[in-house]
Amino acid sequence: MRSVIALSCVFFLLAVFGPMLAPHDPTAINIPNRLNAPSAEWLLGTDALGRDILSRLLYGARRSLGLAFLVSVIGLCIGTLAGLVAAQGGTAADWMIMRITDTFLAFPELVATVVIAGLLGAGTESLTFALSVTSWMRYTRVARGIGLAQKSRGYVVQAKLAGLSPLAIARWHYLPALVPSLTVVWTGMFARAILGISALGFLGLGVQPPMPEWGTMLLDARIHMRSTPLQMIWPGLAVVTSVLAINLCGDALRDALAKQNGHNLRSAQR
Amino acid sequence: MIRSILSLLLRALVVVSGASIVTFILLWNAPGDPALAIAMARYHQVVSADVLDQVRNEVGLDAGFWSAFKAWIGPLLAGDFGKSTVTDREVWPELVTAMSYTFPLAMLALVCGMCVALPLAILATKHPGSVLDRAAIGMASLGAAIPPYWLGLLLILLFAVYLDWLPAMGALSTTHMVLPALTLGLGVTASLTRIIRSGILDAREQAFLPAFRRRCVLSRNIGRDHIAPHATIPVITVFGLELAFLLEGLVMVEVIFGRPGLGSFLVNAIEARDFPKVQAVVLLTALVFVVINLIIDVIYQVIDPRIGEHDA
Repeated sequence: MRSVIALSCVFFLLAVFGPMLAPHDPTAINIPNRLNAPSAEWLLGTDALGRDILSRLLYGARRSLGLAFLVSVIGLCIGTLAGLVAAQGGTAADWMIMRITDTFLAFPELVATVVIAGLLGAGTESLTFALSVTSWMRYTRVARGIGLAQKSRGYVVQAKLAGLSPLAIARWHYLPALVPSLTVVWTGMFARAILGISALGFLGLGVQPPMPEWGTMLLDARIHMRSTPLQMIWPGLAVVTSVLAINLCGDALRDALAKQNGHNLRSAQR
Repeated sequence: MIRSILSLLLRALVVVSGASIVTFILLWNAPGDPALAIAMARYHQVVSADVLDQVRNEVGLDAGFWSAFKAWIGPLLAGDFGKSTVTDREVWPELVTAMSYTFPLAMLALVCGMCVALPLAILATKHPGSVLDRAAIGMASLGAAIPPYWLGLLLILLFAVYLDWLPAMGALSTTHMVLPALTLGLGVTASLTRIIRSGILDAREQAFLPAFRRRCVLSRNIGRDHIAPHATIPVITVFGLELAFLLEGLVMVEVIFGRPGLGSFLVNAIEARDFPKVQAVVLLTALVFVVINLIIDVIYQVIDPRIGEHDA
């Protein structure tokens, strides 16, 4: 378990400090040295334009992981807000918000992201928008579920009778109850965002060249699969290990929560 | 029960109409001049403003949002998906052709996944914590983390480039289906194994089971009559999510393996800015999704009437 947390920390540090560790400029084109095998100078080899793959991976970590973080946090904010409004507002607001949530849930995430990002035009902004718009619904469901459960608790009823505003009740009574379950959902969505960003990159709709990103690197490497298969392995491996580390952290968190109280687990899974 | 099923139907209806409006808004607000894209796709050259106006008029882009929406939704309700704005061919027959490539692949992946996941989960839960159990968990975690496009590329590298056993690209024969099905199937197996495993473990902790054991009910009968039904509920839940996963995987896998299915159809349509095609695919996937989830909700009502009482 500790190893998983350590691995996640390593990825976090890489995303923050990775560019400082990069031995080469990730965008420096060096045609004479194209498609090099791993060697002392190019630890993971070079790509079709002679750019150092290790440096590109390190710079790419910031794009892939950083954007995924941004997207999942945007989703978390929108989703939680909508969920809380649904739980606290009247029946009509609840019905409206939940039907809107259902409507957005009706589109398979990646299909919707590809369509939105594709229509907006490839680029980092449209990618962020496309992924955020399609990733808030799960938080809403969880937040609303727990919010509704909180509503009938004695202390919430008392707070309401004492004249606390809905905003204050949300802040002091709902939010603390939400944090554990939402964190579990968030880890899952973070991992999904990493996969989504690299998928869009692979389709050519993500972060645009020359900026390195893991999915785009895979796309570039694909053409040279026969001559330099290793070039294709590295970015994929980076995606898999980071997603795995985050997922396992989420699992551990969920197990810890399940031990604490069996009830929240159910709502976290829905 | 009839009432709750009716309310589920109403919800599905609201969601489908919402989805169609969202789809239309999305395409209507797409930046860039669609008329220019269409004209470029048709004539393969830079065109004058007159031609652009003509295209705009022809496709109905100059009519304003609501009249365009009406012009789109009217025939759609009668099952007419309209014509491609680029090739001027009917969308529906092309969509059917694309689906004829996608559907068998999806089914194959799903069936393979189920066939591997079910025995694996049952064997793994015989002795929780055993080597097999750990291996199953490990595979499930790994399967959830491997993006299908990378897995597909690795399989191509192994089976098509190094071993040269299977064809990598295209959809000419059934052997072309093996690698894509394997790619999708591994992901499906992973998540199904995970869910079935935790479903069985959860069901085993039900409070009434010790009572049965004390009454000397055969453990085989307990498994069949009491654990299995309880373990089914989460599995059915996940089946809906699984379908989404499958659809998403399909998009990527079809692009990688060059299969002319729904995924390639969608990606090509987006690149060509062929709005009717994009709308058709998006709406169709949403429709399939809603219908499957509706069926799942109805099945719930039948299996376990307790579910749905608290759900809005």
